[in-house]
Amino acid sequence: MIDERPVMIDIKDVKKKYVIRHNTEKPASFSGRLKLVTRKVLHPSRRYDKEDFWALKGISFQVRQGEKVGIIGKNGAGKSTLLKILSRITEPTDGRIELLGKVSAMLEVGTGFNGELTGRENIYLNGAILGMTKAEIDSKFDDIVEFSEVGRFIDTPVKRYSSGMFVRLAFAVASHLDPDILIVDEVLSVGDTKFQRKCITQMMNIAQSGKTILYVSHQMQTIQQLCDRVIVLKAGEIIFDGDVQKGIEMYTDSIDTTETKKNLSGHKPRGTQMATVENVEVLDKDSCVWLYNESIHFKVTVKAHDDCEDLRFEFMFRDMTDKNLGKAESAPLGVMKSGETYEYDIVLNTQNVLAPDKYTLGIELWKIKENLYTVYDIVVDALSIEILSEDESRPEIPEIFWESNIFGNMMLPEAEVKLLSEKM
Amino acid sequence: MQKTIIEPNGRNFQYWKDIWRYRELAFNFAKRDVTVRYKQTMIGFGWAVISPVVNMIIMTFIFGNVAGLASEGDVPYSIMVYSGIIPWTILSKSIQNGAGTFINNAAIMQKVYFPRILSPLGSMLAFLIDAAISFAVLLVLMLIFHFINGFVPSLRIFITPLIMVWAMLLGLAAGLFLSAFNVKWRDLNQALPFLISLGQYISPVAYSVNENFGDKWWLNLYCLNPAVGILETFKWCIIRSMKFNTFAFFASIVWTLILIPVGIKLFRKTERTFVDIV
Repeated sequence: MIDERPVMIDIKDVKKKYVIRHNTEKPASFSGRLKLVTRKVLHPSRRYDKEDFWALKGISFQVRQGEKVGIIGKNGAGKSTLLKILSRITEPTDGRIELLGKVSAMLEVGTGFNGELTGRENIYLNGAILGMTKAEIDSKFDDIVEFSEVGRFIDTPVKRYSSGMFVRLAFAVASHLDPDILIVDEVLSVGDTKFQRKCITQMMNIAQSGKTILYVSHQMQTIQQLCDRVIVLKAGEIIFDGDVQKGIEMYTDSIDTTETKKNLSGHKPRGTQMATVENVEVLDKDSCVWLYNESIHFKVTVKAHDDCEDLRFEFMFRDMTDKNLGKAESAPLGVMKSGETYEYDIVLNTQNVLAPDKYTLGIELWKIKENLYTVYDIVVDALSIEILSEDESRPEIPEIFWESNIFGNMMLPEAEVKLLSEKM
Repeated sequence: MQKTIIEPNGRNFQYWKDIWRYRELAFNFAKRDVTVRYKQTMIGFGWAVISPVVNMIIMTFIFGNVAGLASEGDVPYSIMVYSGIIPWTILSKSIQNGAGTFINNAAIMQKVYFPRILSPLGSMLAFLIDAAISFAVLLVLMLIFHFINGFVPSLRIFITPLIMVWAMLLGLAAGLFLSAFNVKWRDLNQALPFLISLGQYISPVAYSVNENFGDKWWLNLYCLNPAVGILETFKWCIIRSMKFNTFAFFASIVWTLILIPVGIKLFRKTERTFVDIV
């Protein structure tokens, strides 16, 4: 069958390179600065200076009229870069995109809202920023106000609004755009549950009116509701394009728990990079699978690119939708000398708390000094791990079936129940 | 249906069309600036009157009375100073507005596309209202001096709106030129206010060129300062007896003709990817 609907979005081999300049510390003393300059002259190509990072490594796809495409992928897969290029906020490094018709991008709700202005004034300002003409806004004004439920506060400065009202008004403006192509970043996850449902309904209405939609989200549920096609991005490349259900499965399955030893030296640089996480290795196991009653044990290698002192680790657990679940911090690590490599043995006491499920573990190096919080390095997904329910502790329930999206991610140990009295 | 093409180093032929399509946005920015500036102030637009008037009084006192400099011909010193302040303020505000475009509006520009040049244009539109108010004050001032010592302005006063627009264009062009550097090196943010207050002394805001430097050998060198031509021409429009400073006028014209295309080109080069740097 030949699809005869016009191609609305045509993306050909789009690449995007970022040049990362590392903020090397500026020493306060003259001798320190001299040392830094000499070092830069002696090792001009050292890592802490400048680095290329390819956020998109050649993306090509077409979207036809009326298609609703969901884009999923882990943090750092290139989703937001793609959206920024499509919405013309920045340019690609290479490649070509053709967009047909009027394009509206909703990367944030309330862009350009000014607290001093009234709700009414902000509707006109925000509408204009999003590309509406005054006549268009005039004709939709009543709908916008009704949708936002701000009612009689429409002539009050928005700085006096509650955060809920603010978000409702902002979304109301954005959702009354009338484009041919609508590009939406995770903006539906704002406001209270009732309003969220209203937003999704509004999005479905837009979707049903034959518009072309590109929607980026972490919420697989919304993707399932809204989209009829899914594109999975991984490290700047498309690894799947097609059926929604298969795409979501693919995304979840792409999480590989068999890798127990990972070289992280090429990860996306974040923070000052004066010390970086180089390696992570799980000890005495052949996969990253732990039992519910086990603590997580692994080894991390850190390389110092500059003299550092009292850095700390932070270990962040995320679920498959990249939601932060909880974290553990370490005590200060003491002195690190420039150029040296350090190995640390790590134990995270998640036993009898972390529910059986798949997780990603992020590692961050940071420091707090005189209330100043500095990030040295972040690896968003250092390890993909799985927790299995063990069999022995509760023999009467042989296989605990844990549904994280119903029960959450915290499975506490068996509740202690004692019988105090019994009356007949 | 309209077609948008996105390419690196965009031969972005749709740019000028976009500006036309988004033109209302400039007015919206202007409206926002005016509303926000005078909200929760007691005298509102009064500030557009107070600041140039106080400036004029001080400068007249320092340069005219204390230093005893001569005014342009027979014109009251305060009228001469005030006709320097008007174009100078437009010029300096335009430079600052243009230069700060990317830094001051980064939050919006990281989230939504529009031709970035509309942002400084909008701010300048808002500022033209202030300029019009301070021009009205000049008219009142001239009326007062008409009754005190029979001052009569030149008929050339009808050209002044053109000179004000010229000042805006030159300032904006210089500002757009600087905005590119402002993204990479924030030093400019610190240096600019300082340079502008310095510029006020090497430009004929508070003194007369003819009376003070008319016979100096470096007069033409001084007139190469692009502000001189604009200020001298504006004063010439008000003061009947003043002679036209041809050299300074053409120097400013040349500056304007160079800076507008260069400024816009550099600005456009910056706007394409500045969000990656900011």
